[in-house]
Amino acid sequence: MGEISAIFYVILLPIAIGLLGFVINRLRTELDFVAFLVALILSIRIFVATRTGIISYNLASMFGIDFRFYADSLAGLVVLFNAIFAILIWFYSLRFMSKKPGERTYHMYLTITLAAANGVVLSGNLIFLLIFWNVLVFALYGMLLIGKTDSTFAARKALTIIGIADYAMMLGIVLLLVRAGTANFPVEPRVLLADPWLIASYVLIVVGALAKAGAMPLHSWIPEAAKSVPASTMAYLPASLDKLLGIYLLMRVSYFIFDISGVTSVRIVLMVIGSVTIIAAVMMAMVQKEAMRLLSFHAVSQVGYMILGIGTGIPVGIAGGMFHMINNTIYKTCLFLSAGSVEYRARATELDRLGGLGVKMPLTMLSFIVAAFAISGVPPFNGFYSKWMVYQGVVELGDQISFWPVFLIAAMFGSVLTLASFLKMIHSLFLGERPRELDKVREARFEMVVPTLILAAACILFGVFAQAIPLKHLILPALSFPVSGIGFWTPALATILMIGGLLIGLLVYLLGTAMKPRRARVFIGGEVMEEEAARITGPNFYSSVHTVDMLEKTYSFGEGGAFDFYNYLKGATGALGVLLRDVVDKLITTLYRVIGEIIQNLGRLTSALHTGELYGYIGWIFLGGIIILLMLVF
Amino acid sequence: MIGLDFFIDNYGLLLGALFVFVGLMSFVYALGTMHEKGHRLEYYLMLLLIVGSGVGVAFSYNILLIFVFWEVSTFAAWRAVAYYRRAPEIEASTWTFLINFIAASILLVGILMIYNDNGTFSIFDISTVSETAALFVLVGIMTKSVTVPFHVWLAPAYGAIPTALGGSLAGVAENIGVILFLRLFTLSGHGTPAFMEMVAWLAVVSSIVGGGVALRSNKLRNMLAFSTISQVGFVLLAFAVGGLYGVVGGILYILAHALAKSGLFYGVGLIEDVTGEDDLTNMSCMFRLSPVLTLGMALLAGSLVGFFPLIGFFSKLAVIVSAVGHSPYLGIGAIASAVVTLLYITRFYHEVFFGDKCDIAKSRYKRPSNAAVAVVFMLALLSLILGVMFYEPLGFLIAGGQ
Repeated sequence: MGEISAIFYVILLPIAIGLLGFVINRLRTELDFVAFLVALILSIRIFVATRTGIISYNLASMFGIDFRFYADSLAGLVVLFNAIFAILIWFYSLRFMSKKPGERTYHMYLTITLAAANGVVLSGNLIFLLIFWNVLVFALYGMLLIGKTDSTFAARKALTIIGIADYAMMLGIVLLLVRAGTANFPVEPRVLLADPWLIASYVLIVVGALAKAGAMPLHSWIPEAAKSVPASTMAYLPASLDKLLGIYLLMRVSYFIFDISGVTSVRIVLMVIGSVTIIAAVMMAMVQKEAMRLLSFHAVSQVGYMILGIGTGIPVGIAGGMFHMINNTIYKTCLFLSAGSVEYRARATELDRLGGLGVKMPLTMLSFIVAAFAISGVPPFNGFYSKWMVYQGVVELGDQISFWPVFLIAAMFGSVLTLASFLKMIHSLFLGERPRELDKVREARFEMVVPTLILAAACILFGVFAQAIPLKHLILPALSFPVSGIGFWTPALATILMIGGLLIGLLVYLLGTAMKPRRARVFIGGEVMEEEAARITGPNFYSSVHTVDMLEKTYSFGEGGAFDFYNYLKGATGALGVLLRDVVDKLITTLYRVIGEIIQNLGRLTSALHTGELYGYIGWIFLGGIIILLMLVF
Repeated sequence: MIGLDFFIDNYGLLLGALFVFVGLMSFVYALGTMHEKGHRLEYYLMLLLIVGSGVGVAFSYNILLIFVFWEVSTFAAWRAVAYYRRAPEIEASTWTFLINFIAASILLVGILMIYNDNGTFSIFDISTVSETAALFVLVGIMTKSVTVPFHVWLAPAYGAIPTALGGSLAGVAENIGVILFLRLFTLSGHGTPAFMEMVAWLAVVSSIVGGGVALRSNKLRNMLAFSTISQVGFVLLAFAVGGLYGVVGGILYILAHALAKSGLFYGVGLIEDVTGEDDLTNMSCMFRLSPVLTLGMALLAGSLVGFFPLIGFFSKLAVIVSAVGHSPYLGIGAIASAVVTLLYITRFYHEVFFGDKCDIAKSRYKRPSNAAVAVVFMLALLSLILGVMFYEPLGFLIAGGQ
């Protein structure tokens, strides 16, 4: 019974305390601290309880819908990480958001989002889940409104895209409810994709999940928002909670509700979406000139690995996708928060206005570099291991799909490009020469450094001891099937670590020299040129990919918004509106007017007959008399 | 033959209570805003007639009595639209009256046909409704509960009517038609399957057409009018499909839509009064006007779109469940209409409350009346409370069906 009340409180408490903190502003920090701490403790409790058993509790049944809670080890895992990220980002925001406009509502949304996210993960019925999912949309929208003035555009875009995906999901869930008779999960036996409507149901629910996770082509609000909302919002929603929830739902529908193993085409579609997302988003990231936007494209790109892994249907691939979900949230949150620290101190995010901050902000740089290597899949950090598992899943696919190397190449190539774009970012932020106005920059505040360092430490911990800690205790117990083949590379782990060590050594060496840029005076026409103008900034790294023949067109399309689903949507709805308003509706209205005109003209005609002259009326009388006579005769 | 034949069931009780509440809000709004405008007596009389006829329809089981209330409502709407007595208002009221009156005559023919076949007007005693009679009645229903292609009177009427009366027109008068449909066809089961199928598709098409026009409407009240056409389509769809989900979902939808639409109407009217503008391309950054109004309108818009903590979510969900249960294609149509709703509502809300032209002079804005803002917020709050405690109205309605 204790676990069930833990489920209740982990959902209700953050909302209640968050609203209370909004009302009593003076005690907000204390109240929020209590809320997040209690949520963390309860989450640990749920996590521990789900190790050994399943918690299931039916709240009420109404209208053919069971409002029930269900927590297995997968849910326990996600709930735990929800709480960890919430408390870290809250702690970071204490200083980062202080005295910014909208601070009060921002903190309220933090708590509401946590509560709703817990609700999503702990519900055992898709309709019940949809309720919490809707609360998340509201909270996301509200949170995106807090920022620079143009954040309202991003908020509208996000609301539109996520809202449409939500409706798709609602339709999918209702189709499942009507066709399969229940929206509860897990279902035994799992629902086979037997008829077209069940396939549609699966696809529609997956659309909802992928829109949440931010996969292409439903990603475009993320880069849009990155420009204008605070870094901590980006870290909280697109980087951590949205990924956890989207991938969680994808796992749930793919392996706990539907049985997709028999339908290869669905899995191929998933893997194609994954691969395209990896490559296309990372290509966009490479040429960005603004820190947050660059990171946001990586937030999109990394989802591809998770979808690819889960789409393989191979146990090691699925485990890899799940592991990558956890790893990605760790390093991506770390990256956003570190970049936020830079923004907080340097008051700029454009790469050409930054540089040389490594000396001034060593701890921030350390955490950023660790996370950057983790995201690029450099051993021994955590990103390497999970990507490796995804690759293995793809390789094992060989007996089912002949063109598996395509996916493998896409994934590996994406990894290389990720590293490339992070080298650009590290250079632009921390190395190179420092612009003069940044000379007074100091290390970020304590509240901001601690979360980033914790996350960076987790990147190392989860990478070096990947098998001993995260896989053994977190990922594998969360899956309902045995996973084999992870140990395939263990003998080589030592080698990998050595290579990693070498790389780090090289890095330290490079940093040692790179942090002290060699200065030479530049002369122009015999005069000393101003140093500032000759500063080598980062943004133009790889700008030559712009000019590669095929890519040039693609990039110019991409920058023109050709890959933005939202633009097409706007165009389509505009056309629909014109069609319905200026054609259909106008036609109907005209029809009414024409009928009115006809009736009026008839009236005029009959009134014209009333001339007011006696002879005329006598003539009518005779005419009438003749007609009556004729009728009597015949 | 005709007496005061009233009965009470849970459906009627909920609807009647809703209509009275909407009327009360309209009254409070008028107290806050109408003081400088003349002939207020007419205003309050028309308000009472609209609300009274709505309540009468909700509780009566005699279709001739329903028809009487119907005509009272048409008359009141006619006078309400012509309230300001300027040329455009008089033209709009003429449209309203003529179209409604002609449709009501057709309805009367249908009612008399039913009487001819059965010898009674009582809904409980009617045993058959012929196809022809059903079609005649349907024309009346579709005109009163604005459905394409009988919707043309609504947009001019919304444009002309005083705000305070518009709220009760949106919340009460337009629902009379669908209530008759519920009583006569859905609950009594007199519609043939082919007829009901046709109505369901008409409703979906009407809903999408209304929403599509609302997407391109720049005039605020025009947008609201076509939004109403779109939303009433959901109700008619639910009633045409029937079943527990259809009936309960449709009634919940009336509840959600009446609260949301009358609230939005008051909010829009308030903004128009304060700014002197009626075009959403000419206004931006209204959130500076009043945070309470901004939040209230957000909740009402959310309820109309169908997001969870608001009552609009469950009504939309139930309608979609019923539609998909009947035919997945109907469900797809309903979802498409819901998406269109989302699009025009976000457009409206963002253009008005945020937008990109925040430099429009603020000094000429009047201060919004507190009572009016409070009315908008009350309606929003009720939508929120009902949405969070959705099991209360849901259980009440389910109990009414057993």
